[in-house]
Amino acid sequence: MSTTFDLAIIGGGPAGYVAAERAGKKGLKVVLIEKGELGGVCLNEGCIPTKTLLYSAKIYDNAVASSKYGVDTKEVTFDFSKMMARKQKVVKKLVGGVGMKMKEHHVEVIKDSAYIKGRSAEGIAISVGGKEVVATNLLICTGSEAFMPPIPGLGAPGDLILTNREILELKERPESLVIIGGGVIGLEFASFYNSLGTKVTIIEMLDEILTGMDREMSEMLRKEYTKKGITFNISAKVTEVKGNEVFFEKGGKTTSVTGEKILVSVGRKPNTAGFGLENIGVELNRGGIKVDEKMRTNVPNVFAAGDVTGFSLLAHTASREGEVVVNNLTGRNDQMRYNAIPGVVYTNPEFSGVGLTEESAKAQNIEYKVAKLPLAFAGRFIAENEGGIGLCKVLIGAKYGEVLGVHILGNPSGEIIYGASMAIEMEMTIKEMEEVIFPHPTISEIFKETIFSF
Amino acid sequence: MAFVVIMPKQGQSVESCIITEWNKKKGDLVKKGEILFAYETDKASFEEEAAVEGMLLELFYETGDEVPVLTNVCVIGAPGEPVDAFRPGGARAETIETVEIKEIKETIGAIGTSPVSQSAGTGAISPRAKNLAEKEGVQFDSIAGSGPGGRIIEQDVKAVIDSHPKTTPLARKIAGEEQLLPSSTGSGLGGSVKAKDLTAPNPIYANDFEIKKLSNMRKLIAKTMHQSLQNSAQLTHHLGADARRMLELRRKVKKANDNGYPVNITLNDMVCFAVVKALRKFPQANAHFLGDSVKYFNKIHLGIAVDTDRGLMVPAIRNADDLSIQGLSNQMREIAVSCRKGAINPELLSSEAASFTVSNLGNYGVEMFTPVINLPQVGILGVNTIVPRPKDLGDGAYGFVPFIGLSLTYDHQALDGGEATRFLKQIATEIENLEFEL
Repeated sequence: MSTTFDLAIIGGGPAGYVAAERAGKKGLKVVLIEKGELGGVCLNEGCIPTKTLLYSAKIYDNAVASSKYGVDTKEVTFDFSKMMARKQKVVKKLVGGVGMKMKEHHVEVIKDSAYIKGRSAEGIAISVGGKEVVATNLLICTGSEAFMPPIPGLGAPGDLILTNREILELKERPESLVIIGGGVIGLEFASFYNSLGTKVTIIEMLDEILTGMDREMSEMLRKEYTKKGITFNISAKVTEVKGNEVFFEKGGKTTSVTGEKILVSVGRKPNTAGFGLENIGVELNRGGIKVDEKMRTNVPNVFAAGDVTGFSLLAHTASREGEVVVNNLTGRNDQMRYNAIPGVVYTNPEFSGVGLTEESAKAQNIEYKVAKLPLAFAGRFIAENEGGIGLCKVLIGAKYGEVLGVHILGNPSGEIIYGASMAIEMEMTIKEMEEVIFPHPTISEIFKETIFSF
Repeated sequence: MAFVVIMPKQGQSVESCIITEWNKKKGDLVKKGEILFAYETDKASFEEEAAVEGMLLELFYETGDEVPVLTNVCVIGAPGEPVDAFRPGGARAETIETVEIKEIKETIGAIGTSPVSQSAGTGAISPRAKNLAEKEGVQFDSIAGSGPGGRIIEQDVKAVIDSHPKTTPLARKIAGEEQLLPSSTGSGLGGSVKAKDLTAPNPIYANDFEIKKLSNMRKLIAKTMHQSLQNSAQLTHHLGADARRMLELRRKVKKANDNGYPVNITLNDMVCFAVVKALRKFPQANAHFLGDSVKYFNKIHLGIAVDTDRGLMVPAIRNADDLSIQGLSNQMREIAVSCRKGAINPELLSSEAASFTVSNLGNYGVEMFTPVINLPQVGILGVNTIVPRPKDLGDGAYGFVPFIGLSLTYDHQALDGGEATRFLKQIATEIENLEFEL
């Protein structure tokens, strides 16, 4: 006995649940299949829980630093288990919210593993929990999982070796933490545990942390965290793990560092196996599902969105990709653009960027002009960031002055970077930007100030 | 008492303004300060407010009309008051005439100054409309104007802009500067046209041509060729020569080349060699016609037409009659290479440098053409491709024989048909009886 749908979605993360919601709202008959909790990695073991914990850490940091602002507190302490409990509460609330939205838009949610059986004239057949569903269109958004590099002695994730998943389930704060991989995930956990007094060591293979972000600001952030007590080993290659000891080679010498826990955050790999992708002949590209700008795979009526495509690995990219699929299915011509996707690292200070970096512009031979200003040029930043660092950098096209990239280090850059995304999406030039009114006093004004310094 | 509204004079140089919009119509009651109409000069747009309260009794002009400054535009007063006294007497007809003259001037000016401004139909466009169109990258040649006589006014351009998909500021800038057009569907936000969605104007229906200045070389060729046809009495005779002997020699040369013989004597080299031999016997063809005298050369300076990237070049091989076929072949190759490199001695390119010229199009399969004489030379031989032709092989037997086509253009001022034919026949004979040692 099979049920037919306009759209079947495998994977309930930011690509899947957003696509389900939009499609349901447009009146499509949608089934969303998720083997775990709705919300995917983002809600359950990524964006949301980490931001919740990082906010606890920030409150703690602020309380410790409160005397700088004329506020005296008694001895400041924290309760790790309460922080973790609050994180659970937040996650549960948001996951529940996604469930409500699915109900509201008449999306049928099936909590089970999906297996694609094949494609026929009726549509794509998927077996799920002993039943069969048939759908005219299929959206695959099975996400990604932590990549475990082939390092001798590195065991599977568990008590000692952690990925983003295990580290969020710790019952006690570790005294020391070794992080293999200085990307966004590594840096955010480093920031959290550094605030709580854990001795943190980061080992990064490349010559700077946070590859892909503005290099100058990455270096500023690394120096800031060095002052706060994190040990960075860049251009360092992990050669072996022996129990709690991580060996790495740097400048021809091998040294080691021990940690109560070891976090592996060297990257993620798309989930493409185990659900019958091969039964309909979906083509892969560098480990991810190959898609075009409308998120179409090589198989008609089969789409993919989110981490499973293997290139952006950001929740907001995934959601937008899901929307592109639904828009095209419901008669609105839409296509994915990747040139204005903002990225935020929730360290303290936050580090945000959108568009081209100087490094990527040079690599693509794009002629640009650059202007930068310390965040101290914005009054509100001075008022709220005693001794804090910050920098805003704007890249414009050399000939026409269009905004190519904006990078801001400083709090709360994550909340204002979208303005720059809009400028890039709309191909605004600095001439138009100069006419936009920014509220005063806000930190967002730094964007305008920097524009005016060209 | 009726109050007449005149077209204000906005600035010293402004002679007329165009009414772009009437906000009131005849019979409307207007209050003091209310806007009556909007108008534009070539530089700015303005609105005219009512200075008094009353009924709008009469409008003398309509939207789109061009009105000379200080002319009566409309009358406000009490219902029933007469307005005829204010009517611009005959001025309206004059106005239209003025408009038309100005339109023509502008159209002429526009064609010369800007590649955007090709006007179709009535073609006229107001300066403000033109400014806007150029700023927004709108091609206005296909806009139907709503002004007098189909003149395109600002609001016509605005309407076109509104009907296009939204264009990003960057795309607008680039479109304006690089003369590109927005595509009908954009890849940006909500389908907006981004910089990468701009396309060159449709090559078939829009800019189907491009005007380029002549290179100096082209100018020179144009001048010489034109002068040649204007200042001589040239005509062409065509004749075929049996090419069997030549082809056989060519096979021998190839075989010798394979065995290390250093000179690759081509069919063209052989023809030229034959021409030199024929010219020895026909000095009247180895000459320059100078109007009142003829300059007969004792030596043979053979001009060779060479096709290069920069255009046609005709260098001379001096004293070609002193050369063996091997020497001629080597010189022809060297001189062609230096022409293509641009390293040729300019003196050799002068039409006076050669006494006779050969132009070979046989390589390209041309079967017959009329080469143009390089004055003051009296003749030029065009060499054509080899084609098989039936030939009487004797005893009533016919067979196909390869023939090479020869087209001799000569100046009838210097040579008569009989001589020319005999000379041409001599070339054919030389080709058919070619002899040389490898």
